[in-house]
Parts: sequence; structure tokens; C-alpha cells
Amino acid sequence: MNKFWIIVGQVYKKNVKSMGFLSMVLSPIIILLVVAVIIYFVAQSESEIPKIAVFSDEPQVVEALTSQPHEEMTITTAYQTPQEAKADLEAEKLDGYLQLTEENGLYTGEYVYTPQSADVDIEQLTNLLSKIQLEQQTEELNLSQEAVETLLTPAQLKKTRIEFRGGGGITTTDNVEDAIKMGSAYAVGIAVFVFIMTYSSIIAEEIASEKGTRIMEVILSSVSSTVHFFGKLTGIFLICLTQIGIYAVIGLIAFQFPFVKELLAGVDVIALLKGLAGTSLVYFLFGVILYAVIAAFLGSLVTKIEDVSKAVSPIVFIALGGFYAGLFAFYSPNHLVVKVASYIPLFTPFVMPFRIASDTVSTAGIMVSVLVLLLFTLITTGVSAVLYRSNVLIYSDSGMFKTMKTSLKGLKKT
Amino acid sequence: MLEARHLTKKFGTLTAVNDVSFKINDGEILGMIGQNGAGKTTTFRLLLKFLEPDSGEVLWNGKPLTKKDYDAVGYLPEERGLYPKVTIEDQLIYFARLRGKTKKEVKPLIDEWMEKFQVKGKKSDKVKSLSKGNQQKVQLIATLLHEPKLVILDEPFSGLDPVNAGLLEEGIKELKEKGACVIFSSHNMNNVEEICDRLVMAKDGAMVLNGTIHQIREQFGRKKLFLETPKTVEELALMPGVQSVHLTRDGVKVLALQDAAYGKEIFEQVTKDGYISTFSQQPPTLEEIFKMKAGEQHE
Repeated sequence: MNKFWIIVGQVYKKNVKSMGFLSMVLSPIIILLVVAVIIYFVAQSESEIPKIAVFSDEPQVVEALTSQPHEEMTITTAYQTPQEAKADLEAEKLDGYLQLTEENGLYTGEYVYTPQSADVDIEQLTNLLSKIQLEQQTEELNLSQEAVETLLTPAQLKKTRIEFRGGGGITTTDNVEDAIKMGSAYAVGIAVFVFIMTYSSIIAEEIASEKGTRIMEVILSSVSSTVHFFGKLTGIFLICLTQIGIYAVIGLIAFQFPFVKELLAGVDVIALLKGLAGTSLVYFLFGVILYAVIAAFLGSLVTKIEDVSKAVSPIVFIALGGFYAGLFAFYSPNHLVVKVASYIPLFTPFVMPFRIASDTVSTAGIMVSVLVLLLFTLITTGVSAVLYRSNVLIYSDSGMFKTMKTSLKGLKKT
Repeated sequence: MLEARHLTKKFGTLTAVNDVSFKINDGEILGMIGQNGAGKTTTFRLLLKFLEPDSGEVLWNGKPLTKKDYDAVGYLPEERGLYPKVTIEDQLIYFARLRGKTKKEVKPLIDEWMEKFQVKGKKSDKVKSLSKGNQQKVQLIATLLHEPKLVILDEPFSGLDPVNAGLLEEGIKELKEKGACVIFSSHNMNNVEEICDRLVMAKDGAMVLNGTIHQIREQFGRKKLFLETPKTVEELALMPGVQSVHLTRDGVKVLALQDAAYGKEIFEQVTKDGYISTFSQQPPTLEEIFKMKAGEQHE
């Protein structure tokens, strides 16, 4: 078998078999599950219905409030005076009481509660009172039902965006589709960041550990450094694809369960996947490759495995910058900084998906950014592969820059 | 056959290797000695094409070493290392496959080699569970498993106890019998004397000695004389050509001669009264030559 594939196979097997891979694959799922469980319990605890007492000199408002049961609270008239209610409030038998006064048909009131009380949606309470107030007012003013409705109907606004593209064609998009696009852009942003972080450190560690243990010297007396470099990259890339594949399978299986289907009922999964599978996937893959190449290069500069985290820290900062640029693009996709950042190859994978999602970039712009990203990745890979050979054989304690300098010097001579 | 021709390599102002030439025929062992920093490792790296020489060339069977020849190389770097979390068997197979062997070819050989080097541990053990000495043996197996034709060993004896050093010597001799070219570096002159056909000594990048061990020792002359005689140290010191006399713990008197030719005259004087059990006139040992050469100032 070709030596290239021997290296790919070794990298792949060694990593996939390791505990690290298992935890790497499972941890996002576990986090998702934990979040789901928390949300579930929060939703459960919210169903604790607060019990409040009401006092007023106007019996009709008390009656209107208590005449029909409310979903979110129980309103009681069991207390005669606020003092009684206060006593029960202290004993935590009551969550609060409402004292209402009326003046010229308008209600003002005070809601008294303790920090231990179950939360009462005060806005809802206000709405409830406003409704009662309105009903009483219309009755008093002898207004017809139609008149009330007319009075209450707000002005209607509809959002229609018109885009003028090349041929002058007009496209309109509705908000749901927009939200899905933004959602998938957000997912891509997070996924790019997580994958870049994980795989950058894996490949940098792979290389630095082989260099540190001098296995590198044995390997480089067996195969050329270029074969080794690309073998490592390909192996890592296959591991990355395996991880994505595992998620796809888990997703498909999960989708068979009715409660998952129910949970996702409001989301158009197909549309979401379309958003992910399109241009975003291209950005995702090239983003991971580009950062992995740089990580491999940085990993080849250090002598000891302990220095790997130091070596990859530039990547961490750049990726973090990209991630925040992406978040910024989420809110203001038309900002000049966002526009510029979306064409900088190291930021493109984070920023461009948001610009595409918000339709603030033309097809030509997308093409240009993909092309720039592609070219930059190719050039970076080429340069890294050439420098790799001299990098991995230089053992110096004087730091990465010295190594790089020595490496460049060595290159000029040959 | 490996031939190095006038290899020179400079790092900035430092000349790490200066005009080094030697030749190793098939089935020959070349020992390279020299102090730390004498340029041994750099020479090996030049042989392996890890570094490009500033001048000179390396020829393998009369042609420059190419990628194809990598399969025939067995290289043991000075600093040792294996994959700590991979089993012995898996990494031996991996390294052999990188040298163009198939899993099928080498798998049956692993047990044989582990027995030969008396590796303590099962082949399914992870390397990190082995002692340092055993790890070193595993790495030696990784270097030799694919039956290389050009074997380059950087300080293979360092860290081995005499028993294991003996096993390694046997292993190297076996390679020689199979017709491999072997070059190794060492600090330990005993190992060198035991197995080398030829010897190169490097100092500050340059070759100060080159030849067979016999040739090298003889070129220093038989100026050392080991004697067991009733004569006292003082009496011996007065004999012609004697520079100094030194009494060892075993009662052997060691004389340093001005010239080997005085030996004959001293022999006659000390045997005048009859039998003596030791009269041995020797050239300096490799170790003495090494120290002598290492101590010499660079002209």
C-alpha cells in the first residue's frame, strides 16, 4: 500500500480509537441533553401557580377578576383585610395581594409580595385590569362593540423587501425563511469555531509529539516530509468527517422518536439543512482545512508537546476574533467592518454565512470570497508543506520565531 | 556501499562538519567516535539527507541516495522515542510498513526479535508500560525489523547495561553477516573495539582519525610496556628510554617509552635473571587515543 495511506490510516485509527475522540463526539450531545433537561425542569417549576388576594372598595372589579378562573394565577377573596393577607404572606401561604382603588372609572393599585413569593406576571395582571376597565368604560359611554373594535385596532404594517439583482429581477423573502437562514448561519458559526479549536489542537499535538519524541526523524528517513504532512492532514480531515457523520446518524435516529419530532415541529428542518448544506458547508470545510494547516505548521515549530498550547494560541485568538466578527455580523450585517471581514480568508468562514443569511451580499461577492478563501488555503498549504520539512528537524530551545528564522535560512540554501 | 565524500556543513559561523570522507563496504561496520558536539549527529543527518551539505556528496552504491532507497534504511536517532499509547506490535508494524514491508511479512518476525533482545513484556503491551531499557530495545527492533541494508545508529549503546549492550553487539554483527552497511556512533570504546571494522574519529567537525582499529592503534606505536618483574619502580625508571613508571594495584608496572625501539633492550635487561610472567608491549588503547586526541589543541 502507498505510504501516504499508511500514514492516513495510522493517524485515523490512533485517534478514533482513543478515549479523547469518544468524549469529543459525545460532549456536545451531553451538553445538549443537559440543556434540554434544565429547560424541561425550568418549564415544570414554572407551573407553580401563584395565589394572590384582592381587596377593593369596588365589588364589581373584584367580581370581574374572580368570576372566571385564570391559567397563570389563583385570585382569592378569602381574606377580609390586608392585615390578614399580610399574616399569611409571612407564613408563605399566600404569594401576594392586590389593593385596588378607583377614581373616575380608572383603577390604580398596588401589588404586595415577598421575595419568597412565586412570580406573578405583573404585566398580565395589568392587562387583565385594563380589560375590565375598558369594558366598564364602554358600557358607561354606551359604545357599540364595533366602535370598540375600531378604536382598538392598530395600524397594520407589512414588511416587503425588494432586491434588485443583475437582471433586475425581484425577490421577496418572508421572515420565517430569514430566521431559519440566520439560525443556520449561527449554527455554522459555532460549529466552525468548535471544530477549528478541536482539530487545530489535535493536529498540532500530533506533529509536536512526533517531533518531540524524535519519531519524526525515523519517519522522515522512511517517507518524504510532504507525504507525511499531507497524510497527517488527510487523516485528521477524515476524523472530522467521521465526527460529522456520527452526528448525522444520531440526528437521523433521534428524528424517529415522536417527542423529538414534536420538539422540532415549529422548525422547518429541511430548510435548515438546505441552509447548512449550501455555501455554508463550503465555508465550514475550508475554514477547518485552513486552520488545520496553520495549526500543523505551528505544531511543527515547537520542540516539546507541552508548548503546543502556546504555539496554537495565535489561532485561538484569530478564531475568537472571527467568531465575534460573526456575532457582530448577526446584528449588523451591513456594517463596513463586517463587509471587510467577510473577505479576509481567516474570518470568511465565520462572517460570510451571516451575510448570506441576511441577503446583504451579492452572488458575485460570495464567489469572490470563496475564491479568495480557496486561493489563500492553497497558498498557505503550499508554504506550510515546504517549511514543514526544515521545521520538524530543528530542535531549538530559543522559541518559535528563532526556529522559523533558521528554517527559512535553511530553505534559501537548498 | 556507502561513501561520504568531503562533506562540509556550516551553521552560521560554526562549521559542524568539516571535509569528512569515509567509505563503508557491504558487510562492514564503521564506528564513529568523538566528543559531544564533534559533528556525529550532523554527519548522520547529512547521510540521511535531512540536511543538505554545503559541499561534498553522499553516494549509496555509487549513486545519490533517493526516496526509493529509504526502504533500505534503518535509523536510530540519538534521542529515543516511540508512541507511548500504541502497542509494541502496532508500532513495529507501522514503522515496517513505512519501509515498504507488509503486515504479513513482519508480523511473524516480531516474536523472534523480541526474544532475541529479551524484551520483557507482551507485544500487546502499550509502550509506556515498559521500562526505559525495554523501550529502547523495542526501538532497536523497529530500526532493524525490516532488514535494512544501510543501518545508521546514533549512540545505540547509551543507556544499555553490559548484558543488553552484548545483545545489541550480537544484533549488529548479524546485520553485518547479512551484508548490511552499518555506521554507529559511540562514547564507549569497548563496544567500538569489539565490533568495528573501521573507525572514524571526529573532533570539532573534522576527522582526526580514520582507518581500521589495528592501523589506528599501530600508528601511535607500541610505546606502552606492561611488566611483572621483581625489579623496583626506581630501578625501572633508570632504564634507557623510559619516560615514566606507574604501578597498578595488581602489581603490574606500566612503563611509558620514548620510542617502541627501546622495548628490545628493556626485554633483555628484565629477563637476564630468568623467567618473568608478563612482558607485553602495546600500542595505546582506543580510549587513550580518544582522550589524547580530544585533549589536543586545534591547530
